[in-house]
Amino acid sequence: MVIRIAAVGDVHMDEDVVGRFRPALDELPQHAEALLLAGDLTRHGTESEARCVAREFGGLGVPVVTVLGNHEYQCDQVPRVVKVLEDAGITVLEGDGVVLECTGGRLGIAGVKGFGGGFAGRCASDFGEPEMKAFVKTTTESADALGAALRGLDCDLLVALTHYSPVPDTLAGEPLEIYPFLGSYQLGQAIDSAPTALALHGHAHHGSERGTTPGGVRVRNVAHPVIKQAYSVFELGDQVD
Amino acid sequence: MTEHHDSGTGPPDEYVEAEIHRLLAEDPAVAEQGISVVWTERGLVLYGEVESAHRRAEILRRVSERFPDVPVSTDIGVIRAQAPTDVEQLP
Repeated sequence: MVIRIAAVGDVHMDEDVVGRFRPALDELPQHAEALLLAGDLTRHGTESEARCVAREFGGLGVPVVTVLGNHEYQCDQVPRVVKVLEDAGITVLEGDGVVLECTGGRLGIAGVKGFGGGFAGRCASDFGEPEMKAFVKTTTESADALGAALRGLDCDLLVALTHYSPVPDTLAGEPLEIYPFLGSYQLGQAIDSAPTALALHGHAHHGSERGTTPGGVRVRNVAHPVIKQAYSVFELGDQVD
Repeated sequence: MTEHHDSGTGPPDEYVEAEIHRLLAEDPAVAEQGISVVWTERGLVLYGEVESAHRRAEILRRVSERFPDVPVSTDIGVIRAQAPTDVEQLP
C-alpha cells in the first residue's frame, strides 16, 4: 500500500503571482494523488485573493485539501474566502477531516489552522489576564479539535494538516524568541493521540523541513520559502523498492 | 545581535528595527512576516524571500519612505516555483 501526496504552504497568492505555480501544478497528477495546502494561501485574506488561489489551485485533476493560515484572518473575510475555495472544489478543513479514495488505499486527512503557545517547558499557561487565558484557550480548543478529527477518521493512512507547527524541530532557523508565535506542543500531543503517519505544517518561513513529534510521528514544514519548489511529494506506506 | 548604528538624532536602532518589523507585517502593501532586518556598516539590509519581484520592490519603497534618513538595501530573493525533482519516501 503506497499513497503519494503533494504539499505546500504559505504561497501568499495575489494577482501579481497568479500563474507562477501553474506549470508545476499541471504535472502534479503525474506525481501525487492529492495536494495538501498548509495555510497562508493569501496575503491579507480577501475574497479577491481567494479567487487567485482558486484559479491557481483549482481544477488540478486531483483532490486539493487545505487549512487556513493566520493571513486568511487579516481582513475578517474568512467565510467568503472559504466559500470561494469550496466553490473551486478545494476542501477546507478546520477541526474536521476527509477521507480520499486513493489507488493505494484510503487517505485520511484531519486539519486545523492551529495556534501558538510554545513548546514544553517554554510555553504559555492558562493563568492570569483574560487575554492570556484566551490565547491559551484558542490553542487548546484547536488541538482538541485536531485530536478528535484524527481519531475519528476511518482510513488506511492518516495525515495531520496544520498551519502552525506541532514541534520545535521544524522551526530551527527561526529566532527562539518567536517560537511561541509559531506553534504549540499541544498540536503535537493531538497528533500523537492517533495513529498519524505524517504531520504537515507551514507558517515558519525561516524554519527547516524535517522533525518528529515526541510520539515518533514524522513532521514536515512545507512552507514555500522552506521547500523552495512548487510543492514537495511524499510517498507514504510500504514501499517495495 | 543588533549592531549599534549611529543614526544621528533619530531614534535608537532597536526602535527603528522594531518599527520596520511591524511595518513589514502591518502595512497592507507589504504584509510580510518573514523578512529579517540587519544593521551593517553600509546601513540597513533586509533579508528574506518573497513571491515576486514586485513585492521585493514594494518592501524597499515602503521602508525607504518611512525612514528616508536610513540607508536601506535588500538581499531578498524570489522563491522558485518549479516542480520537484524527487520524492521523499516515508515508509
